[in-house]
Amino acid sequence: MRHRNFSIKGLILLFIAIPALAQDIPRTESGKPFFQGIWQAQTRAADNLEGHVARLNLPAGHSVIDSGSIPYLPEALERRNTNFANREVLDPLNKCHLPGPTRIMAMPWPFQIFQTEDHIAIAFEWTQVYRLIYSGGQEPYYPGFEHFMGDSRGHWEDDTFVVEIRDLNDRTWLDAAGNFYTNAAVITERYMMIDANTIRYQATFDDPSLFSEPWSISFPLTRQTDIPRLLEYQCQAEVEEANGEFERVDNLWYPAPIPAVNIPFSDAGEEDPRLPAVPGDISRQPDGAPDISGYFMANHGGANYGLEQRENIAMFPPSRGVVINPADGVLPYQGWAREEMVERREAWRGYDDPTAHCFVAGIPRSHYVPSPFFILQPPGYVVILHERMSYRVIPLDDRDHLPDHIRLWMGDAVGRWENDSLVVESSNYNGKAWLNELGDVISHAQTVRESYTPVSDTQILYRATVSDPIVYSRPWTIEMPLNQQDEELLEVACLEDNNDLQHLKDVRDEHRASLGREN
Amino acid sequence: MKKTVILTILMSLGMMQANAHHSFSAEFDIEQPISLSGKVTRMQWSNPHGWIYIDVENDDGSVTNWALETSAANNLIRRGWRRDDLPAGTTISVEGFRARNGTATANIRGITLEDGRRLFSGNADELRK
Repeated sequence: MRHRNFSIKGLILLFIAIPALAQDIPRTESGKPFFQGIWQAQTRAADNLEGHVARLNLPAGHSVIDSGSIPYLPEALERRNTNFANREVLDPLNKCHLPGPTRIMAMPWPFQIFQTEDHIAIAFEWTQVYRLIYSGGQEPYYPGFEHFMGDSRGHWEDDTFVVEIRDLNDRTWLDAAGNFYTNAAVITERYMMIDANTIRYQATFDDPSLFSEPWSISFPLTRQTDIPRLLEYQCQAEVEEANGEFERVDNLWYPAPIPAVNIPFSDAGEEDPRLPAVPGDISRQPDGAPDISGYFMANHGGANYGLEQRENIAMFPPSRGVVINPADGVLPYQGWAREEMVERREAWRGYDDPTAHCFVAGIPRSHYVPSPFFILQPPGYVVILHERMSYRVIPLDDRDHLPDHIRLWMGDAVGRWENDSLVVESSNYNGKAWLNELGDVISHAQTVRESYTPVSDTQILYRATVSDPIVYSRPWTIEMPLNQQDEELLEVACLEDNNDLQHLKDVRDEHRASLGREN
Repeated sequence: MKKTVILTILMSLGMMQANAHHSFSAEFDIEQPISLSGKVTRMQWSNPHGWIYIDVENDDGSVTNWALETSAANNLIRRGWRRDDLPAGTTISVEGFRARNGTATANIRGITLEDGRRLFSGNADELRK
């Protein structure tokens, strides 16, 4: 009861402190504040929530705690102080682990908010992390299972968006100074737009096992009007590339040239089969576009174990074969590239698959990695949230692609509706991804034309036509149904508990040792 | 007959690979099938794979703690498994394939409880009967 009184008092004080809510803020059709856009926190709160002087790799900052300091119980304060003293080793963020829902809001990286009537998604530049906040009264499918980023359910209190976060685990820190909570914590966030370019962000922490009373932090989020789109910072991939654990592939990664031995790439070839007609009574969004939103799982037929039709090889499960062009279902590899694919089946090459390192799967693999994904259709965009913790932002406009030297794991996508199919053109890939565990090959030169065609209210026919003049002699197309299910995404914290990678490294190192090569 | 057995095993592996993030073949060795029995010491609910740890008594009386890889926690949750389904102290027997690097690690395809009930690592229905 004491906690509740405090909370209400805090809320009243907060409203007094905020200027009268501006009427000229952007709003949705239904009149709610419209948060959509690219934002960034203006705060040092990710370093230390409390007011602090500078330390090594820890810039000075003012307190963002509404009551001045964190009301730790004595034992909890002792643990925080131990955390601080050992922060270089203990800070989960130094291992690129998921930062938790409030620390990532304060980190100095831009993020993009997308808003529909029943969801708000926040896509962060840092490591392709996202938050999906259910705001339509949806009950959790799997309450009680803990997540690094928690389970977020939002609702509106007048113009304030209030988010309750539960089912948190106790493996994150609140900042680089070692402030923390337990898996009993409940966090309540409040998002208040005080003008068109400023959101006042507040988070209240209630964890009676650590704190004598609930306490809250507040800081502004500022709209970033000069950033046309988010780029990428894949934390663990950058670490492993820098320390040599993930090795550069000179003939595939940007800016590899087209090999002189290649047979010339030709666009000439068979036409793709005609797409099926979209039913006339398909569900539609308010703007008239087909409604393709929701939770989907691909009927991938084992595409993650090979795009071509194939029986078992060793322990690789069979593949149905998803290549529809060329009609014989055989990928038009350059000779050297097929040899590379065959070598990747060897056990000692398993370590080289980026997804074994928990890096993002790229395109088109993210659709059949295999893992479910959630499609959102906020105004002006289609956003795909992949359960394996990555996302794809597809703006529906005629913008140019990024400059050629800007290269991304997930590429740069632009989409449009064409005869009720969502058509997505993408480029600017970095060439680091594999197409599947079997080792089908792709390079930075890939460009992809995808189509998402709703064939019923619960199924999308997905096609991807890939052109890659480094690896292939002509474009090829894969096709698979995406089936909508009555489900919710769960969190995949992959890197945090990836026991497999060391085993794969052992196998690779043993092979290299047998060749007399240093690891 | 042997071919039939191997086919059955591979089909089971296919079920288990539903959310794999690495090449099964690269980490585990089909030439090293293994059967183990022991008491559960811990179950780790994690992605991209869950892990069951069991103490197995060796022929010389010593005990080895084996790490048994299961499907992803998200798959186990969606198939009805819950945290308390395999509490510490539960005696189980498992079949699987040993890791190539020679550590006490295996990917398991089936679990048999003390009372003889069997379940695949991907499905908890048997436990709930």
